[in-house]
This record gives sequence, C-alpha cells and structure tokens, in this order.
Amino acid sequence: MISVSGVTKHFDEVHALDHSDLDIATGEFVTIVGPSGCGKSTLLRIIAGLINPTEGSVNKPDDSMGAFVFQDAALLPWRNVQKNAELLMELEDGFSKHERVSRACSALQQVGLEGFEESYPHQLSGGMKMRLSLARSLVLNPDYLLLDEPLSAVDELTRELLQEEIHTLWKKEKFTAILVTHNVSEAVFLSNRVIVMSPRPGHIIHMVDVPFKKRDQTLRSNPKFTKIVNEISGKLRTWK
Amino acid sequence: MEIKNIAPPLLVLMLFLAIWSFAAHLYDMVFLLPGPMTVALAFVSDFEIILEGVTITLREALTGYILAIIIGITSAAIMSQSKILERSFYPYAILLQTVPVVAVAPLIVLWFGFDEKSVIIISLIISLFPIINNTLLGLKSTSNNLVELFQMHNSSKLRLPAAIPNIIAGLRISAGLSIIGAIVGEFIIGSGSEGGGLGVQVIYAQGNLETPLVMALILTATFMGFAFFMTVSTIGHQLLKHWHESAQNE
Repeated sequence: MISVSGVTKHFDEVHALDHSDLDIATGEFVTIVGPSGCGKSTLLRIIAGLINPTEGSVNKPDDSMGAFVFQDAALLPWRNVQKNAELLMELEDGFSKHERVSRACSALQQVGLEGFEESYPHQLSGGMKMRLSLARSLVLNPDYLLLDEPLSAVDELTRELLQEEIHTLWKKEKFTAILVTHNVSEAVFLSNRVIVMSPRPGHIIHMVDVPFKKRDQTLRSNPKFTKIVNEISGKLRTWK
Repeated sequence: MEIKNIAPPLLVLMLFLAIWSFAAHLYDMVFLLPGPMTVALAFVSDFEIILEGVTITLREALTGYILAIIIGITSAAIMSQSKILERSFYPYAILLQTVPVVAVAPLIVLWFGFDEKSVIIISLIISLFPIINNTLLGLKSTSNNLVELFQMHNSSKLRLPAAIPNIIAGLRISAGLSIIGAIVGEFIIGSGSEGGGLGVQVIYAQGNLETPLVMALILTATFMGFAFFMTVSTIGHQLLKHWHESAQNE
C-alpha cells in the first residue's frame, strides 16, 4: 500500500498542496484529476520522492521499485529505441548485459515497437514515443507506475488506443498505477478510483469509485460510464 | 559534392580574382597591391618559410584551444552545479569576451615573456568564453523531465551528453578564434625574432616591404582557420548526425 498522510507543500510563497491524505491499495489504478494548478503533479512527484513535502509524509513498502512516465516521454535523443529501453536497467545496476537486452526486447514487443529498435526518438511519432516510454518503465517490473499526463500530447485516436493498451498492461503486469490527467473520460476508463482535486491551495475534494470489470471500446458508450464522467466533470466545474 | 553546389562560390572566386588582377595591373606597384599571380609565386618560392609558420602557429593555437576546452568545460561544469558559483564567476567570464585582447596582449607578453607561452595564453583567452558560455547553456537547458528521470533512479550521469550539441557549437566558434589569438600573440612577440609563426613572418615580411609574401601569409592564416573550423564542424556533425536536429537535412 502507498499511503499519503497530511502532505502539504509550499513553494516559496505559493501554497501548492494542503493536508492531503490518500491510501492506494497494492494493484489499484488510481487517477487524480483536477484543473491546472491544483497540485496534482506536485502530489505525484511527492509520491515519487522527487519533491519533499513541507509537512506530512508518504509511506511506501520497503524495497518497492517505482517508475515515472513523463508527459513528454523524456527519452534520450542520442540513444536509439533499443538503448532507450535499456536505460533504466543501466541506472539501477544489477542487470547483466544479456538480461538488459532480452528484457528490453520483450518490453518493446509488448508495446508493439518491434522492428524499430534501431530508430532514434526523433524518427518516432508522439504515440510511439509514449509506447517506448512505457516499455522503458515496464522492464523494471515496477511495483508502482506513476504517470504524469502521459497522453496529453497525442491525437484523440492514438490516445484511446493507448488507454486500452495501458489498461491491458496494467491487468497483465499487476503494478499499482497512479495517473494524473485532466481528461475525465480517460480517468474513468482506466481507474478503479478517481480522485478529484481543487486548486488554491490544492486539496482532495472528492473520490469516485469506478466499478467496471471489462474495459474496452464499448465501455465508452456505456450510459453508466457517461454518468460517472458527467458526475466528475460536474464536481470539477463547481470548483473552477 | 555536386557541381551545382560548387559552381556559385567558384564563380564568385573567379570574379574576385579577375577584378584583383585587373586592379593590380592598373596600379602596377607590387609593394602596394601585388596581383594574384605574384602572391601565388611568393607562396611557392617562400613555401618553406610559410610551412614553418603554419607549423608553429598551429602548434600554439592548438595548445591554447585544448587548454581552453579543458578549462572552459570544467569551469562551466562547476558553475552549473551551483547558482552561487555561477553568479560569482560568470560576470568575470563575460569580461574575458569584452576585454580588448589586442591591447592586453602586450601586458601578457610583459608578464610571461617573449615566447610561445605568451602566444598560447593569448590564444587561450580569446577562445575560452564561447566554450564556457555554450557549455553552461547546454548543461542548464537539460530537460527537467530528464533530470527527474535520472533522479528517480538515483543517477547523475546525465547532463554532459545532453549538453554536447551546445558544447560543439562553442568549440566551432573557438576553433577559428584560437588561430586569430595565436596570430595576435605572435604580432606582439614577433617584432624582434626571425623564423616564428605566421604572425611573426607577417611582421618580418612587412618590414622588408615584401607585400606579396605578406598577402600569401595572410591567406594561409585565413585558410588555416577555415580548415580548423571545418575539421571541428565535421567531427561535431559525425557525433550528432544520428540524433540532433542541427545535423539533420544537410
């Protein structure tokens, strides 16, 4: 379980995050939605350990391995696809050369990038970059995956496809996932639970459980799905 | 390279040589304006002197350049690690760029002696700032997400490769400058001595009113700087061609 308790964050004068509490069960898919400036990215970075909270704490199981998927994919432009997929294993040590290559290959296959091993990031489309970024994280078999608006830069069709792929990967790899997005339908499609935040200062105002078992293209036109999306959008609108 | 790429600059060169030839013929005073053929003859007949000058100047410039690379990249790396260090030292790095080197050169010669050491130092001073400035820019403009990615996995190995395109830009500018620096240095130390670098030879030939040789030496120095610049550019291009926008579509 990942447990956030009483986390507050001040950046100089700005009060970015106020007394936030959140428990995330192992294997759960939780999405944080909210308008720009509500502190959702800050909360994600505090969970990742990239930023220290001003007050409060985040508890994660000892020795749990995390990976972070960034909005712009954050690939190394001077490395080809294969070498980018091997990057985190080099940084973390403890992976033999042979293991790095084989893990990277199977992860690339999983995200449909086989055949592009020798390409460089600038030759890839936005969707392919994000696939590579996912593959790069998956090779570590992470216990938890943190995703910071990973699909905000791709076109609508690719976004829906990637949502389905992320769902499939999550089902298969059974990592805990925490996603930050401002796309409500994406949040509902992917998660077990949606956390709604409001700005100035950022804090959690609402939580919605999403009960659906089967997540595929048909879910998007399901009236229950639309109802939950509308409920969350309503909550967001009252606070804007 | 294709003909259509070479033809336009070649045509400009021919035109220039023709006008020069014509003007020299009209003027008819070799010590004021020797024609291109006279300069070419001087180049051939004094080839040994010129070659010796090239060797010495190149040695001095290369030494200054390599020192500038070592000092420049190191100090930029240090400055990039701390805001306070950057704020304390960067203004003085700018002064390196704005100091009138030609005026300071005699002082340097006074302090370090009438020999190659002074020339190397002058070449170093003139080539240092572009390297510091571009390296620092490159180190500081590494994408935040990449920095965080490496931080997440406990590594700080990232920044230097990310800065390579900027470092190469600095190295290219400084390549030509290092030769100018060496020649400025030679001008100051040169007046007394014989058999020195290109700058020394220019002073010497000027004293003897050997204008064709002066022009041959100047052209040699110019092409030397150009060749040095092109060499560094080519190496840089090879390093970047797979991944950096600046090396694409060329």
